[in-house]
Amino acid sequence: MATSAELPDLRTEYPSRPPEKPATFVSLLPGIALLAIVGYAGKFVEHFLNTYTKAHHITFPNIEYVLWAILFGALIANTIGLARIFRPGVATYEFWLKAGIILLGARFVLGDILKLGGISLILVFIALALSITFMTWLGRTFKLNPKLTTLLAVGSSICGVSAIIATQGAIDADEEDSSTAIAAILALGAISLFAFPLIGHALHMSDHAYGLWAGLAVDNTAEATAAGALFSDAAGKYAVLAKTCRNALIGFVVLAYAIQWARKGLANDTTTAQLQNKAAFLWKKFPKFVLGFLFISLLATLGSSTNPTLASLGFSKPQLTTLGNLSRWAFLLTFAGVGLRTNLKDLFKQGARPFIVGAVGEIVIAAITLALVLGADRIYHL
Amino acid sequence: MASKRLSTDTWAILLSLTLALFVRIGLIKTIAW
Repeated sequence: MATSAELPDLRTEYPSRPPEKPATFVSLLPGIALLAIVGYAGKFVEHFLNTYTKAHHITFPNIEYVLWAILFGALIANTIGLARIFRPGVATYEFWLKAGIILLGARFVLGDILKLGGISLILVFIALALSITFMTWLGRTFKLNPKLTTLLAVGSSICGVSAIIATQGAIDADEEDSSTAIAAILALGAISLFAFPLIGHALHMSDHAYGLWAGLAVDNTAEATAAGALFSDAAGKYAVLAKTCRNALIGFVVLAYAIQWARKGLANDTTTAQLQNKAAFLWKKFPKFVLGFLFISLLATLGSSTNPTLASLGFSKPQLTTLGNLSRWAFLLTFAGVGLRTNLKDLFKQGARPFIVGAVGEIVIAAITLALVLGADRIYHL
Repeated sequence: MASKRLSTDTWAILLSLTLALFVRIGLIKTIAW
């Protein structure tokens, strides 16, 4: 299959390496196996810790497999190093990333937005616009590189890791940026898991208002759901609904960023000359996998149609669950690859600024969305 | 002579749509997570 797959540029990490030869299918296998082992180890540790802490009634935050997979990968790459035999296969992480995003389309049904209703949708749009604007301004103020700023803005305003991964592919950002942004978003997500229910109870918020706030402000879907459920069962339901609404917008924002970055030509300076023909340039820069994502999304939407003819064209619910799980497995390989390709020296060069920008951004976004939800609650009695 | 290489995007679309087709026609029934 992947005998002629295009491999990402390795020059920045292995400057003394000779030019990459086209990889053979067999040469990819050791690296892909390593991705699977590291990724599965992350999933195993998450499951083990959850089971163990529950069995022993220990209060312990759920640390997602994503963080473990990245940590294990980074640990291997930055201690014993990545043997040459694994490199071609590890470089396929970008392929798994894109396959994961396309399959992720199954989890974004356009009808989910309608379910949430007008008022919630308006709040999502206002929160999105304010969050992206604020995070972009903050990133510029702290002089972060534009791609990292974009990843942090998208990660903290839309839906964390999935959005960062989706945007990374679209704007051609470095995996170090992606890994920094993911680490910042995940660390802050764990903090919000504890902070949100405390604030919600202190303000005597209703289930609907609190759930909406958690769904709008907490970045990762798992943390948003947990933050909602920690308040009450009903709040958990509303949080999932609001979060799904935000998730449904990933595709559009990735699309907007892809066009914006393609227009600027910042993704690759050598292609600036090709800007003469803007349409061709845009098409070349346009991430084609987004079309696959939209296509799967369309089939998911058709499947939920009440019109039997239209519904027969789309996917059924069990099929959507299967596709969603396939996407998760593809992302598992991707996250392991992100860790295995992370150079900690470069990460530390970034300094504490990405984390400060992330933390300040999250607090301000949480405050903005809280004000929006409280305002809507006062007017519309949510 | 170098052969025409398919991009990562194309490979990703091919794999994803093939998997989606297999799920649609019932060749792949359940994938656990």
